[in-house]
Amino acid sequence: MSQPVDKIGNWLALPVVAALTALCLAPLLILFVYSFFQVDFVTILHEPTFANYAKVAGSETYRGLIARAFGSALLVVGITAIIGYPVAWFIAKRVVAAKSTFLTLLLVPLYSGDLVRIFAWRVLLGAEGAVNRSLMWLGVTDTPFGGLLFSPLATHIALTYNYLPFMVIGLWLAFESLDDAWTEAAADLGAPAVDRFRRVTLPLTLPGLIAGGLMVFVMVAGDYLTPQLLGGASGITIISAVNDLFGTAFDWPLGSAIAWTMLAILMLCFGVGALAIRRSSFISEGT
Amino acid sequence: MDRRNFFKTAMASVALGALFPASRAFADTDILWMTWENLAKDDYLSPFLSTSDVSLTKTFIGTDDEQFAKLRAGGASSVDLITPGLDKVEFYTASDLLQPIDFDKVPNAALLYDTFKKTPLGKVDGETYGIPFYWGINPIVYRADLMDEEPDWSVFFEGDKYDGKLAMRDYALEGIMIAAMYLGIPEEEMFDLDDAQLAEVKKVLMIQKSKLRTYWNSIGDLTNLFATGEVVCAFSWVPPYYDLRAKGIDMGMAKPKEGVIGWCDTIAVPKGVTGDRLDATFELVNYLLGPEYGKKLAVGGPYAQSTSAARDMLSAEEQEKIFINDLSVMDNFVWKKNPPRYNEWVALWNEVKAS
Repeated sequence: MSQPVDKIGNWLALPVVAALTALCLAPLLILFVYSFFQVDFVTILHEPTFANYAKVAGSETYRGLIARAFGSALLVVGITAIIGYPVAWFIAKRVVAAKSTFLTLLLVPLYSGDLVRIFAWRVLLGAEGAVNRSLMWLGVTDTPFGGLLFSPLATHIALTYNYLPFMVIGLWLAFESLDDAWTEAAADLGAPAVDRFRRVTLPLTLPGLIAGGLMVFVMVAGDYLTPQLLGGASGITIISAVNDLFGTAFDWPLGSAIAWTMLAILMLCFGVGALAIRRSSFISEGT
Repeated sequence: MDRRNFFKTAMASVALGALFPASRAFADTDILWMTWENLAKDDYLSPFLSTSDVSLTKTFIGTDDEQFAKLRAGGASSVDLITPGLDKVEFYTASDLLQPIDFDKVPNAALLYDTFKKTPLGKVDGETYGIPFYWGINPIVYRADLMDEEPDWSVFFEGDKYDGKLAMRDYALEGIMIAAMYLGIPEEEMFDLDDAQLAEVKKVLMIQKSKLRTYWNSIGDLTNLFATGEVVCAFSWVPPYYDLRAKGIDMGMAKPKEGVIGWCDTIAVPKGVTGDRLDATFELVNYLLGPEYGKKLAVGGPYAQSTSAARDMLSAEEQEKIFINDLSVMDNFVWKKNPPRYNEWVALWNEVKAS
């Protein structure tokens, strides 16, 4: 009886698969093909070459911008993990009645939109912003501290704020699945708190940490609005460089090659993350 | 109502409904204009639409590049009129997307200012493909209350008094033009810089970067930065000057003697437009270059039309606002052109920003 039902299910899934293929994969494949072409003014020359990838590898600017994007992403993953870990533990293990309220509060900033959050940070960090006024009122400084806004510091503060909820949600799910009996058993066997965390809690919540970390990593690496609006003269990102190539320079092939280089690195990160989740003790204990 | 009468009434309604769009089709030719939102306000266009048999659909662009990308990706067949920059028309003609302007159908084009009649931009083999439409300048705008004297381009490259208080538009073409003007490179060479000149330009742009608060991407954002005092001086568009003066801030506008960047947008007709739609499009083009639209644009913009059609209808103050009280101001303009090595310019600009 189940075979015909399965077949119907497969047929029903076909439009969704077709739509996903057309809307997600096809544009990426087109970009991939373009990345091997060349451009002459506004004419795309359909003569396959690796020249664009060689240009990306040979350019200190593009290499540096790609490294900067992934460096920033790693930094923000680290900061959100450190802040998010105790927050997720608190919501999962200590909050009982108001759990949904805490989770909703965590997500509220996401409803306000990127630009609103960015401009809110400008109001806080600007020369006449709340932070500078407080510092002057406290007598810490006589003149506004200009380095707060339009700096890598401002960019990373805002990126951490923007993407922290994604890390917390991943970790919260992991903590919800964590059976307290494991840590209680470790305590009963005399394991000190540090060892209980290092050898029980951390390995069992690792999949949540990796899943949250990957989400944050991808979003930070692809965010160009926050660095552009808060990073000042140093706010260029690899994504804004790609935007320049697709827009003003009409160099779609080089832009495609950079986009695919980024995508390949991201896929590699995802592969490593997936492998780590598969090998984590959480999964092996559960099976 | 019995069933037979109901059936008759329903049939009659269907017949009338079918006839109605046909009668509209005879009355109006609908054309689609791809343009900037500030050029297609209902108030600007209502005199034309109320007296002609043309109805208009508007679709707005955010950047010139976006407009080109849309047409290049196959959108030309559905658009009747576009608004490319004078320096960008070359992109469209090289892609074979435009048709020449039929001047017999655009009598107001006879009133184009001489600069626009003579410009080689927007033309191929003597045929005009992008007819100059409206123009302006991109000057230096500054907080007169926070600066001691009127700045020139050197403020972005010399001294340290305003370090960390300056802003530059994030646009390779204009950024490199300004560096070239500062270096004294003549206009004839400006858009065809050799390797040595590009190296010089890069050197001064690195100095400039160290002085900037930020590169701006939206004029609304720059206006906010002026208002909050984060930025005291920027290579800008004109609107922050008028907007902030209206709010009581003492703003200044400088037009450096080394040269001022002039811009001009054109109106151009895609290749596939024919028949009634083409006639209707040229009818609209003629209106856009005429006195009624010109006056509304000058007062509402404030922007200057490329023809003198509305000039005498404007007060001296209105003329001054759009720089047409003394047309010799154009002598100092450097009109934007598309550099042959523009990809290298963009790469250089990104190298500076990433340094």
